[in-house]
Amino acid sequence: MDFDVAVIGAGPAGLQAALHAARKKVKVCVLGKMQNSALMKAEIENYFGTEPRSGKEMLDITAKAAEGFGAVLMEEDLLNIEMEGAAFKLKTESLKEIKAKAVILAPGISRKKLNVEGEKEYHGLGVSYCATCDCNFFKKKTVAVLGDASMAASAALLLREYASKVYWVAKDFKASPELMDKVKATDIEMVQAWPIKIHGDQVVRGMALDNGRDLTLDGVFIELGAKGVADLAMEVNIFPDEKGYIAVNRECATETPGVFACGDVTGLPWQLAKAVGEGCVAGLSAASYVRKERE
Amino acid sequence: MSGVTEVKDSTFEEFIKSAPLVVIDCWAPWCGPCRMLAPIIEQLSEEFQGKIKFGKMNTDENENTPMKFNITAIPTMLVFKNGAQLDRIVGAGNKDFMRQKFSKYL
Repeated sequence: MDFDVAVIGAGPAGLQAALHAARKKVKVCVLGKMQNSALMKAEIENYFGTEPRSGKEMLDITAKAAEGFGAVLMEEDLLNIEMEGAAFKLKTESLKEIKAKAVILAPGISRKKLNVEGEKEYHGLGVSYCATCDCNFFKKKTVAVLGDASMAASAALLLREYASKVYWVAKDFKASPELMDKVKATDIEMVQAWPIKIHGDQVVRGMALDNGRDLTLDGVFIELGAKGVADLAMEVNIFPDEKGYIAVNRECATETPGVFACGDVTGLPWQLAKAVGEGCVAGLSAASYVRKERE
Repeated sequence: MSGVTEVKDSTFEEFIKSAPLVVIDCWAPWCGPCRMLAPIIEQLSEEFQGKIKFGKMNTDENENTPMKFNITAIPTMLVFKNGAQLDRIVGAGNKDFMRQKFSKYL
């Protein structure tokens, strides 16, 4: 599937970007789930020209508007993105492949930490947040992947190519049907539970779960929720700063040609008005970029 | 000429003792963040010249040292003071982030 602009994130920044880009008559898709937006559960009373209303209502209105101008809202998460020459290749959690000429990063701020005893202590000593980076260190070893979404399922499948035993630990298994089928076709052991402690000596040796089990492990891969900002950014050659934000210029362009960013991911304040304003700028900039590339 | 010396298992012990403060960048060719970090480390090695000595070790080609130091995530920077391990930095960041990290050892 080919698009001009792929927007990563279906919150207010992403949807506004999609709306503005689509109105400029470029082909736009949006990857992400509106229900995961921080705005979904908010009540908004400080937005220009609007009486207090629910964030859900505002998201629904803007999603419909973006679709009305031709944007395609895919309601699924991104698995990975690759740079292919001057363009981008994206894989979704239903394993669709999308090509785009420009990308707008509007994923919000991820909360990827587990906040469990041992997580910090063993980071780099058996605890990892990146299966693609670190799978090679776990050949013929035993690992666990934590997380209930498609990123965790995808990580478990990758690790099974290296490790001799993989546990996928989650409170609930909510990956895409395509990934669930793939997992169930392997010997990955799905454990419905949650960790209470990661333990070991100089390195990880195990993980105690809230169902009473204690798994003997060499590695723990933490893949919570959708793709993290740092992983996403580095796949398009961008380093987030020390606070995890992506730097942009006044056109919401990043240092990578064709990549734009907007919303909470560019920094404070984490406010709806700022997200929407940047979404507008990013959408227009991405549309201009694509049209210039056409000439 | 590169300010970052390639270090192997066979030259590791000598290298970490060759200066009061030494940082070894453990990397691998297939690691995207490692490749992004490499030019940053080159630039910072010039900034910190005379204060920190930088080396890099390919963890695909050298198994003993990564195993000895329990490297299971890359990039990882091992920090040595007077030949003894002082700290490790796991993960990558932009130039400012890495500069801040290295500066605290001075």
